Amino acid sequence: MKDLQLSLNQTQKVRLQRALEKLESLASRANSNASVTVADSIPVNYEDGLLKGHGTSEVNGEVVATVCGVVERVNKLVYVRSLRARYKPEVGDIIVGRVIEVAPKRWRVEINYSHDAVLMLSSMNLPDGIQRRRTALDELNMRSIFEENDVICAEVRGFQHDGLHLQARSQKYGKLGRGQLLTVPSYLVKRRKQHFHHLENYGIDLILGCNGFIWVGEHVEVTDDMLVDHKSQQHDTKADKNSISPEDQEKNYTTQQTRENICRTANAIRALSTLGFSITVEVIMETVDLSSSINVAIHEMLGAEFCVLVAEKEAVRRSMTKKK
Amino acid sequence: MVGLSIGEKHFIQGGIAQDIRSDGRKRLTPRPINVKTGVISQANGSARVRMGATDVIASVKAELGRPTALQPDKGKVFINVDCSPTAAPMFEGRGGEELSAELSVALRHCLLGGKSGSGAGIELSSLVVVEGKICWDLYIDGLVVSSDGNLLDALGAAIKAALSNTGIPRVNVAAGASGDEQPEVDVSDEEFLQFDTSKVPVIVTLTKVGKHYIVDATSEEESQMSSAVSISVNRQGHICGLTKRGGAGLDPSIILDMVSVAKTVSEQLINTLDSQIAAAEAGEDES
Amino acid sequence: MEYVSPEGLRLDGRRPMEMRQIRGEIGVVDKADGSAVFEMGNTKVIAAVYGPREVPNRSQQMNDRALVRCEYTMANFSTGDRMRKPKGDRRSTEISLVIRQTMEACIMTHLMPRTQIDIFVQVLQADGGKSRCLIAAIGTRSACINAATLALSDAGIPMRDLVTSCSAGYLNSTPLLDLNYVEDSAGGADVTLGIMPKLDKVTLLQMDAKLPLDIFENVMQLAIEGCKAVATYIRQVLLENTKQLEYRRGT
Repeated sequence: MKDLQLSLNQTQKVRLQRALEKLESLASRANSNASVTVADSIPVNYEDGLLKGHGTSEVNGEVVATVCGVVERVNKLVYVRSLRARYKPEVGDIIVGRVIEVAPKRWRVEINYSHDAVLMLSSMNLPDGIQRRRTALDELNMRSIFEENDVICAEVRGFQHDGLHLQARSQKYGKLGRGQLLTVPSYLVKRRKQHFHHLENYGIDLILGCNGFIWVGEHVEVTDDMLVDHKSQQHDTKADKNSISPEDQEKNYTTQQTRENICRTANAIRALSTLGFSITVEVIMETVDLSSSINVAIHEMLGAEFCVLVAEKEAVRRSMTKKK
Repeated sequence: MVGLSIGEKHFIQGGIAQDIRSDGRKRLTPRPINVKTGVISQANGSARVRMGATDVIASVKAELGRPTALQPDKGKVFINVDCSPTAAPMFEGRGGEELSAELSVALRHCLLGGKSGSGAGIELSSLVVVEGKICWDLYIDGLVVSSDGNLLDALGAAIKAALSNTGIPRVNVAAGASGDEQPEVDVSDEEFLQFDTSKVPVIVTLTKVGKHYIVDATSEEESQMSSAVSISVNRQGHICGLTKRGGAGLDPSIILDMVSVAKTVSEQLINTLDSQIAAAEAGEDES
Repeated sequence: MEYVSPEGLRLDGRRPMEMRQIRGEIGVVDKADGSAVFEMGNTKVIAAVYGPREVPNRSQQMNDRALVRCEYTMANFSTGDRMRKPKGDRRSTEISLVIRQTMEACIMTHLMPRTQIDIFVQVLQADGGKSRCLIAAIGTRSACINAATLALSDAGIPMRDLVTSCSAGYLNSTPLLDLNYVEDSAGGADVTLGIMPKLDKVTLLQMDAKLPLDIFENVMQLAIEGCKAVATYIRQVLLENTKQLEYRRGT
């Protein structure tokens, strides 16, 4: 296991160890030794037919794992759910990605998958919801929508002959403005109903992309009339580019309070990711609350003491949910 | 190297202006530093330093050599840095050479002083065994294993830690050699002399972003820099070397300002480093 | 010179069938998809895996399988005497090739067409006292392959089996497992073997010097035993790691 790259002192080591042991004991009941490594054989019952899924292969009539992970069985299907690996897209996943190339009629997007994903111009809706017509003008203006290095949010549309396609047919998708992008291992983010979170008390947007890219940024109001929004955004970027004067730019900065909230939330996610705990909005908020309740400075949230506290808190939390 | 969107750039710059950086640090707060000594058993001294996701190893090897004719009373120190492709695929093949060369030169500037060897951060005269005939050559090698900004400071800290971990064998010189003959020496396997590292400087890099400058920049922050000044300062508060990187011009008064800030920052860094080194050495003895 | 004492002990105190201390650790490079450190005695190697990812150089892209690349580098301080070597000398190129071919044979490349997998192996320390770097480089092969196996598993790349490697030699009419530097440079035979333990297949076999056929069989058998022992250890490390990841993540 990754040694936490923290300098823990002796008592902290013991406390972390104890918290982790508790987590282990809580988990072992639920998941009894289904972990496998590469080339472990998976016991199966052959009588009622069998479907071999991801991460398995057949050697000499035996089902063998090809990746490290946890064996899952769904009816006749047997597969190995891998843990640390690149993102495996499923249709409908909400993802955060970075545009790396503007190509004819499409953008190529890096999403921590083994290939770049493709977002077609025609998979973007016009602000009023009509399907985009592929006019020459549209193509020329592609850079005004997204350009290289932009962080965007989209939905996985499906696999096509030329790769993985994305779509952004709703107002909530699109370019992400001010904030920071965090990357965590994708197995820590679970697929849920809700991946967009507007944390109203903090005035920030939190998007947990299924691909392990997490966006924490200033809240942007999603208006039905995106035409206006779009224009103002365009105006925004232009102003930024020309950077009229440093003073003007300064006025434009995220407010102190919001920035503190963004950084605190981001550090909560970083702490959870170092510990390898699954990342959901509830746990993130609890971690944020923990840090503000005991008055930990934002940058100290990445330190050893806070990590130990988070681990202890998680152990308590999981044993509580278990009891219920 | 790091591609950032306009919004992210804006956010980083704004954070530095408002004194809350992306990970919550203030402009002059460094990341926690983690030191491990004695990681390479074949070297005379070695250390591994981690700051966030930046991870470097430094090793010191001592070999007997001859002093140069120009400086018969001084030993020689060679510094060289490599970037391992494990840190980033772009260092593959010859990809890391440019950065390696830049770092090596900057370290030489900061630690070794001028050609004459005067003002060097590392005491060269202590390396002489027989004046004009035998001296120790110190080969200092740095390796970047993982990179997330501020490599120079990390390497400087690793070298300092490696030097304090270094034991140089005691040398007994057989008497009687005279004139131009090379005296015979007997290198002890058991007795080691500790290297005096109290004067070895640390390097503090101040990265200028917008109107402000920050210490211990991450690679994302480095991508937004206009220029960076690396200043090596020793315990006495003397400046041992200085290099400026990045294209944008700097106001002379700002440089002076940066130097005095670097001096205060270096005091904290030296203290943290010293306690970390002491802890690492103690830990090593235990195990 | 006597490499095995009358009591049956080798120069470093091991018995003929005994391996050096091995140690493996997963997850040492933050930014890589998978990484590991592997130590065999004094040899210490870091491996980092990047990918599977889009092939940067489109002309190298293969439509039916993944492109596997490998680069082997030795740190300047890894050997006894310090020698400045140019990058990409022939020895490194040869070892890169050996590692690449061995790993390629076990990666299920057909499952990841049009992608690239990079394996970077960095030797931090090579067993070899005050040795010449060339000889020391040879002794690192086994450790490199074991480290690469760990790193590839950490990256979640599907593999047919865990390739493991170990060497064996023949000195003083005794087959010896896992030669250290002194034994390696003694000039006796040295068999480096890589096997896929589950499939019971040999994927790497290199030997220098001459050996009678029946003795070769013994030496090779010994090396196979060594590989299996390494495999047991690697499996343990991986299983422990997988369990930890899973219980830490929770449900």
